[in-house]
Amino acid sequence: MTTTDAGLPTLDGSVVDKSIVDGGMVADLVVRAEGRFPSAGGPAEPAPLPGFVSSSFAPLIAQAADECLRQVHGEAPADPARGDRTAVVVVSTRGDVGTATAVAQAVDRGRRMPPILFFQSVANSAAGRVAVTWGLRGPVVCTSPVGDPTADALSLADLLIADDAADEVLLVLVDQATDSAHALLLGRGPTV
Amino acid sequence: MAEARGARDGGGRHEVVITGLAAIAGTGWDLAALGERTAVGDSAFVPVTRFDAGRYRTDLAAQLPGDPVLADELVSMIGTACAQAGLDPVRRSASPLLVAVHGDPAVARLPEDERTGPGAIAESLAERTGLGPAPRAYMTACVAASTAVADAATLISHGRVERVVIAAGYLVEQDNFALFDAGRSLAPDGRVRPFSTGRQGMLLGDGVAAAVLESATAAAERGATALARIAGWGRAGDAYHITQPDPDGGGMTRAITAALRKAGRAPADIGYVNAHGTGTAQSDAAEAVALHRALGEHARRVPVSSSKSVHGHTLQAGGLLELAVTVHALRTGRLPVNAGYSGPDDKLGLNLVLDRPMEREVDHALSVNAAFGGANTALVVARA
Repeated sequence: MTTTDAGLPTLDGSVVDKSIVDGGMVADLVVRAEGRFPSAGGPAEPAPLPGFVSSSFAPLIAQAADECLRQVHGEAPADPARGDRTAVVVVSTRGDVGTATAVAQAVDRGRRMPPILFFQSVANSAAGRVAVTWGLRGPVVCTSPVGDPTADALSLADLLIADDAADEVLLVLVDQATDSAHALLLGRGPTV
Repeated sequence: MAEARGARDGGGRHEVVITGLAAIAGTGWDLAALGERTAVGDSAFVPVTRFDAGRYRTDLAAQLPGDPVLADELVSMIGTACAQAGLDPVRRSASPLLVAVHGDPAVARLPEDERTGPGAIAESLAERTGLGPAPRAYMTACVAASTAVADAATLISHGRVERVVIAAGYLVEQDNFALFDAGRSLAPDGRVRPFSTGRQGMLLGDGVAAAVLESATAAAERGATALARIAGWGRAGDAYHITQPDPDGGGMTRAITAALRKAGRAPADIGYVNAHGTGTAQSDAAEAVALHRALGEHARRVPVSSSKSVHGHTLQAGGLLELAVTVHALRTGRLPVNAGYSGPDDKLGLNLVLDRPMEREVDHALSVNAAFGGANTALVVARA
């Protein structure tokens, strides 16, 4: 993983747009691990995730996050001391489109609402699934950015670390339009 | 006053004050109604009129009359809060807007390629109110608004911005009503009884609120009155279960402890706790454990109430609406009643405010929230 002259992580060779970064300082954030779904040569659809139905939102997040975190922690869970200080941030412009559709259809068609949809009705559930699996006990935050999702996600990660709410931040950017997710484990200082 | 206390805290950070605050809820169309009805424990639950709720376990919610439009009410609250803070158009245009919402149910009914997300609501609100930029919408469920408060306080305390406007809203609608019914979370007896024996669940409520947070220095320089101070904030996760709270209160304990540390306060300094208190069996029990772990012996003495017993669970708006209730309590010296009480749950060991408001001058209060995903937040609010 490389950084630009300005110190920002370079993601796919692109320079991160700082224009909406809250006036924040993201200069010393580094990417410690990265995971993507779909991966090169891998399946185009994420594997089903127990406890979640009708939407690719949580499965996409889980697969990208798992791939990212395995590089640092091996098998789950993370070392407790490190997990206690790791935040989980899920960023998606449109939120969980699949679950919202399933809920709206159940209501509009007068059907009984499947209880499982209640438990996945907010993005927190997908973030929480990652946190539970890996023992990540930092803040859990889910946002819908207005502008560039990566830039806003970086500013959020920077803010959590500046606030001493976490030492590391697992960012997961998810886009159901392309059925893709990108997970980054960010921290300050040198890569490990 | 903030001016007398100086601009920086002991750690060299900028102090954060609230200079504008507005809220509506099922209690009525202004903060005064919310403050008065929560103070005396006058619950606002009425039969839902916006859709046919007859098929659900309860048809009650703390809803305002009619079918208000969330975006319009958010614009109204932002306007009221900014006017109270005395922000002119130039200052407004330089004030970032942080928004906490779930999304628009109408959007879920559009073709997929026409859909927008909660961020689009934030962007539109910034344009309509002359604020900006609006970087994002927080959709962290029931800690969305309190997370926005924590981020705003961090930005200000670190000197990155002078001022942030926060807006949060939820209005009762059928999608979430049906979801909470399916999850067996709604109270079939039609009462929210936080921390009480016989509690059966929550009820939903309308809530729309806005607040102007700014550095004490900036507020003092332009002669703005500080309504209260955000002295500390903390957030932490449980990593216990996707939807259930940690019965040991792990994340909430650490969120409260972090908020106290940031405020430079000991547990005994907290004079009131506005609890998350949904009225569900497991959530209230976990919260009580967390209060005992974080506050020690003081947890048995400090007055506690959940104003959800009056205004219901306002979901993404809860953190900001309950902050407004807490500020009102600090400013009036009347601590809100924990309504719906039907007897003690002896396992909890809390000093609930019962029957009538507790008349007490309090310097520091704690506002606590929790959400799915094991997310927890705590805010320490100080009297200005």
